Amino acid sequence: MENVGALALLLAFCISLYAIVASVVGRLKRKPFLTLSGERAMLAVWFLVTVASGILVYSLLTGDYRMAYVASHTNRDMPPFYKFAAWWGGQEGSLLFWSFLLSTYGAVVIFTTRRSHRNLLPWVVAILSTIQLFFLTLNAFVVSPFQVLAVDRVVTSVADGMGLNPLLQYWAMVIHPPFLYLGYVGFAVPFAFAIASLIEKAPGDSWIHTTRRWTLVTWLFQSTGVALGSAWAYHVLGWGGYWMWDPVENASILPWFAGTAFLHSVMMQEKKGMMKVWNMVLVSTTFFLCIFGTFLTRSGIVSSVHAFAESPIGKYFVSFLALGIAATIWLILSRLNYLKSEAELESVVSRESSFLFNNLILLASCFAVLWGTLFPVITEKLSNEKISLDAIWFNRLMVPIGLFLLFLTGVGPLFAWRRTSIDSLRKNFQLPGIGTLIVAGALLIGGMRYPYSIISLSLCFFVAATIVMEFFRGSRAISEKMNIGFLPAVVELTHRNTRRYGGYLVHMGIVLMFIGYSGHPFNQTSIGEVDKGSVMQVGAYTLKVMDLTEGDTPNYQWETAILDVSKNGKHIDTLEPTRRFYKAAQQATAIVALRSRLNEDLYINYAARTGDKATLQAYVFPLVDWIWIGVLVLIGGTLVALVPAKVARSYARTEVVGMAKKNVSVEA
Amino acid sequence: MDPSLIVGALMGAGMIGFLLLIRFKDLPQPTPVSPFRHLDERKASIYENLRDLQFEYRVDKLSDHDYQTTKLELQKELARVLAETDRIKAEMGMQPTVAAAPAKAAPVSAVKPNTCPSCGASFEKSLKFCGECGKPMEVTQ
Repeated sequence: MENVGALALLLAFCISLYAIVASVVGRLKRKPFLTLSGERAMLAVWFLVTVASGILVYSLLTGDYRMAYVASHTNRDMPPFYKFAAWWGGQEGSLLFWSFLLSTYGAVVIFTTRRSHRNLLPWVVAILSTIQLFFLTLNAFVVSPFQVLAVDRVVTSVADGMGLNPLLQYWAMVIHPPFLYLGYVGFAVPFAFAIASLIEKAPGDSWIHTTRRWTLVTWLFQSTGVALGSAWAYHVLGWGGYWMWDPVENASILPWFAGTAFLHSVMMQEKKGMMKVWNMVLVSTTFFLCIFGTFLTRSGIVSSVHAFAESPIGKYFVSFLALGIAATIWLILSRLNYLKSEAELESVVSRESSFLFNNLILLASCFAVLWGTLFPVITEKLSNEKISLDAIWFNRLMVPIGLFLLFLTGVGPLFAWRRTSIDSLRKNFQLPGIGTLIVAGALLIGGMRYPYSIISLSLCFFVAATIVMEFFRGSRAISEKMNIGFLPAVVELTHRNTRRYGGYLVHMGIVLMFIGYSGHPFNQTSIGEVDKGSVMQVGAYTLKVMDLTEGDTPNYQWETAILDVSKNGKHIDTLEPTRRFYKAAQQATAIVALRSRLNEDLYINYAARTGDKATLQAYVFPLVDWIWIGVLVLIGGTLVALVPAKVARSYARTEVVGMAKKNVSVEA
Repeated sequence: MDPSLIVGALMGAGMIGFLLLIRFKDLPQPTPVSPFRHLDERKASIYENLRDLQFEYRVDKLSDHDYQTTKLELQKELARVLAETDRIKAEMGMQPTVAAAPAKAAPVSAVKPNTCPSCGASFEKSLKFCGECGKPMEVTQ
């Protein structure tokens, strides 16, 4: 069966090549049959990649240990859920997963836009097929998932596989890669539409209207993927961190920074026809950072807790990135006239300038993180010595940048479009400004001495106040006008402009996340070697070891400490931190015991066992829960922004002889 | 013969058939695209900006001066878009917007004076744009 899978990938490779040629020639020579054939080729590629993926998943689930990939990433005693997840658990499978998602996105694009974008679609097909061709080259010729184990050219099999990396056998880790990939791959579509409109010199901003919702969905996937990775690090790695500036973490956040900048700056083009070149640059940067992220994770160029071993795919990625970036730059430069801005920036104190600052800061973050991530590679090339930059370096740089971004999140919506007079500034800034100063003063008087925490919490108050004011003022106006209650007015207000008020909810999510980050300097730690009856103290908590137990399952051995937790002499909980040792992979992982509350988390890790004694690491992490609550609010806000607005943006279509005359709604 | 080769050959033949056997009726009927589409979109965007401006003024986010200046600029922008529409119309030998307006205004006059034709909201004085839904109260075509 693996031969059918390999053949399907080979056929998909040939048909992708055909899709590019048919679409380009069909469009240039105005041959509709050929362009339709190109579109069908993309659907055919989707079918073939799905067949190949189906075969791989079937082999993983049934345990076909003749296949090298199955033997390396599953074992007999693994639950089927994790066997399925092994599809993206290794390099070959995850690159096939990339191809599968890209071909699925391509098929969706064809079904949704084949009537409305006849001129752009051939170019979109050609661009998506070029990206597809690159990944199919890797799938079919470089890192095939269908290689079989063989000794002296005779196919053989092993009795049992090595199993999936135990660290990955955790629910958040199972869904974390698909979410990130949905985000990574999804940006190929806005990129393809942007480039297609550049090639066609299509008038107007139709590529933006077409891909707006797509971009938002993709961004949602990316944000969720990044957050799941962070949650996984916190809950599984056992040291209680949620972000370590690990190269692979950085790879996931880089396109998120650029994508967030794009989501904001695209509004300037829609509102005022400004920043057209900038938007092209941003959508291309986001897409190439997605490819770069995949390269960083899959090539092993930088060492990381979850990067794969060094592999031959690096040079293919570098070539693809170099050619793609060069072609995009050439295209943008050759179409500068077409991208001429329709308006100028009128005042520094305006919403436009706050968007511009937001963009610059997000891109500065992007390049700072990129520099820090590639620093070991650069130093190795220059001086043969690999110098890695640690989390302290990243935090020193990124904390002030993050705080400035938080500040802009608050002031942006308070500025008016075009210009804001002193009078308008006073109307909008007076209340939240005074409130913020009071909060900062109260924190200082309350004994807080960490400057970043004081600034962060004060800014959180400022941004939250501006958002609440936006909702309050708008809802009050609607409530008075329509004579309805305040809460129905809030719903009405949000429904009238889901994008804006959904966006404010996303900002509120960011505020909650920053509240969580502000607790970091107040973390408390206690590490102790304990046996039955021992007592440990961390913060206000007393931990008494009631028992140390152990056991065995077919997949792993485990050891647990049963702890009686009391606070101020009063029993409040029983916690059981566990350590598992996976037999197939010969690797240990921690199952952390967590008592989560809004004010703080009690976090206990069973680190090791020596004889009758166990080493426990106990931590108190203040405010961490707010990070996860913030993520949920961010997801909710994005979903609200995706709901079509009640007041649709519609226009009277200019009458043209031979065309239906009616009002047309523009997708909002 | 290896069965996987047979499956592969069948798959290949099926794909070639799918790619090449296209009948005339398979060609998708494209949605007609107006040469004014980009201008109509721009117009819609300006109306939306005006609606936002009106709302922000209503909720007391803007000073009178900011509101009046920005409103005037947006109206000027709208005039430029309409002029560009007329220019293209003239090139195509069609009737210009300004001349067409009175003829089109007839059905609108059936609506009560100072009443928005889109949402039905009524106002004390005549307005260019509806204070409720933001759509134009006068025929702009």
